[in-house]
Amino acid sequence: MPPASPLSWKAGRTFMFLYLLACVFWIYSGCSEGICSGCTECGESPMSIAVEIHNVTKRIKDKTIIDKISFEVYRGEVFGFLGPNGAGKTTTIRMMVGLMSITEGDIKICGKSIKHDFEEAVSRVGAIVENPEMYQFLSGYDNLLHFARMSPGVNKEKIAEAVELVGLTDRIKDRVKTYSLGMRQRLGLAQCLLHDPEVLILDEPTNGFDPAGIREIRDHIRMLAKKKNMAVIVSSHLLSEMEMMCDRFGIIQKGKLIDIQSVHDSATDSEKVYEFDIDSVEKASLILKTAFPHLEWKNAENGIFVRAAREDIPLLVKRFSGEDINIFGVKEVTKTLEERFLEATNGRGALKNARFDPQ
Amino acid sequence: MPGLIRNELMKIFKRPGSLIMIAILILLVTVAGTFIGIQASKGAVPDNSEWRHGLEMENNRLKRQLEDTKEFGNERDIYYIEQQIAINEYRLKHDISINKDYSMWDFVNGNLPFIDVAGMFTIIIAAGIVAGEFNWGTIKLLLIRPRSRSKILMAKYLSVLIFALVNLVVLLVFSTILGALLFGVPEEAPVHLLYYNGKVIEQSMPVYLLVSYLLYSIHMIMLATMSFMISAIFRSSSIAIGVSLFLMFTGVQITDLLAEKYDWAKYSLFANTNLIQYFEGYPMVEGMTLPFSVIMLLIYFGLFQFLAHYIFRKRDITA
Repeated sequence: MPPASPLSWKAGRTFMFLYLLACVFWIYSGCSEGICSGCTECGESPMSIAVEIHNVTKRIKDKTIIDKISFEVYRGEVFGFLGPNGAGKTTTIRMMVGLMSITEGDIKICGKSIKHDFEEAVSRVGAIVENPEMYQFLSGYDNLLHFARMSPGVNKEKIAEAVELVGLTDRIKDRVKTYSLGMRQRLGLAQCLLHDPEVLILDEPTNGFDPAGIREIRDHIRMLAKKKNMAVIVSSHLLSEMEMMCDRFGIIQKGKLIDIQSVHDSATDSEKVYEFDIDSVEKASLILKTAFPHLEWKNAENGIFVRAAREDIPLLVKRFSGEDINIFGVKEVTKTLEERFLEATNGRGALKNARFDPQ
Repeated sequence: MPGLIRNELMKIFKRPGSLIMIAILILLVTVAGTFIGIQASKGAVPDNSEWRHGLEMENNRLKRQLEDTKEFGNERDIYYIEQQIAINEYRLKHDISINKDYSMWDFVNGNLPFIDVAGMFTIIIAAGIVAGEFNWGTIKLLLIRPRSRSKILMAKYLSVLIFALVNLVVLLVFSTILGALLFGVPEEAPVHLLYYNGKVIEQSMPVYLLVSYLLYSIHMIMLATMSFMISAIFRSSSIAIGVSLFLMFTGVQITDLLAEKYDWAKYSLFANTNLIQYFEGYPMVEGMTLPFSVIMLLIYFGLFQFLAHYIFRKRDITA
């Protein structure tokens, strides 16, 4: 009987070699796994910069999709991101979370570059990019478990906490397949809150919610920004929603950031538009032409729009009533976000579209 | 890394499809066992007391055939005849009878081709493991975690290997159990006679079977790696499944045809996936050796992995 068969011996040597190769692979991958979970670099002062987008350009082949965009988002604020379809909103968001490469410029999250320090930077971000697509064949809980395992330091209690926060406790063990769109959105929100991010990026967060749900999510978002001092970046096409949710918003068009406005600073114009509800428009226009030639005005359905300073109003009222014009009401026409958005993107004046109807 | 692999395994095994695959494997082995069981009980091998005489006669005939073959010189045929003669002589010398009842060992050995079925399933899993994330749209949520793309891809590949291993273990263990139940375990494990380097070597059956299963799996592992690469590059599981399955069943034959005419056929992946040829037979192309094939396999493996990683890491996710 021969002592050892060459078959098993030779094969053994081959497999030993392959095994060693696998071991080297394993050790190599294991070593670089150390991830810092603390975030001391991110300043705790409420208005420090959380996201810094610096001269970011994205080119695909020769086409410039994003052209030198720069802006900052601060901790504790909700920043809205507006733009018509195809303007580059989603591309910008994808670059912020490292799904797309940045051609020029850099994005820093809590001071860490997403380009050069991806794992550090992205560990501070929770995001829903477009629809929150989850694994349909897994339960909601398994989905959360899946993502929890990918972030350091997320335990079962954190999962339960996130589920509780979005109000999914009853259905969390069911398969995602059976969820409604609103429930999926909730699960998506739970998924991005698991690891206590410092920056929250939400694409269309209120899509699929009923009015009560929209209000609830809006309150959640505002609460997270204020209480947990998170920076929240929201994009949505529902402008009225954005108006209620955001502190500031940036408008992007054709890959360029054309304007950044604060939601509450409509008082920057000293002149506002007022609507006079009167019965005799002809008389009023004659008066305006002769006595107030410096004022801009326009006929409306039941009266007249006038762009005027606050102190002009009593003068106008006196003059009108003196001329026997019946005044039923005078009210300030505030520019909605919608109007400001259209103004910024199309150059169309708010006065011409004072009552913009989306349909 | 262990967390990433657990995630991938959860995604594989919590889908009914994967469990059905393993169920099919078990079913196939059961059907094979039932058929052989019916045949074996009816046509039991008659006890041939004249087996020595039979082998002597066969050897005389083979020796005459060998002389003829040597004149026309097909080295492969010569090799096979020499192998047969050597094994027969070894049997005569050491009194190893060819009479033996069909046992568990034969059943396990006979189920070796089912590895191709396991390979088919592994290819399907490998094809879906990256492409699926793109189809489901979950790739976006997967890649915005503090884990590099390379680690995620590596975890996915290792999970494919684990799935292949589970298939192999199920096949081997279930074949052994069913074989033992249906055909019994002989008191003395039979030996396998191996003709290697002009000598006949006795090998214990369990070792022979284990090594055979492992060597036979290389083919499926290489194709699963290829399927994985195509999946990562094209984000389409159907392309990956189509190409890989097509090559799995035709690659060896095509290479065989090419090898008749061209020497460079030895650099083809399929000329090298069958390492059993160096132990049990004659290499596909003359001049091929075991180290050559192992190096070729490592080159192909490295190439597949490099392409998959390179493209997956650079890709802009637009799904």
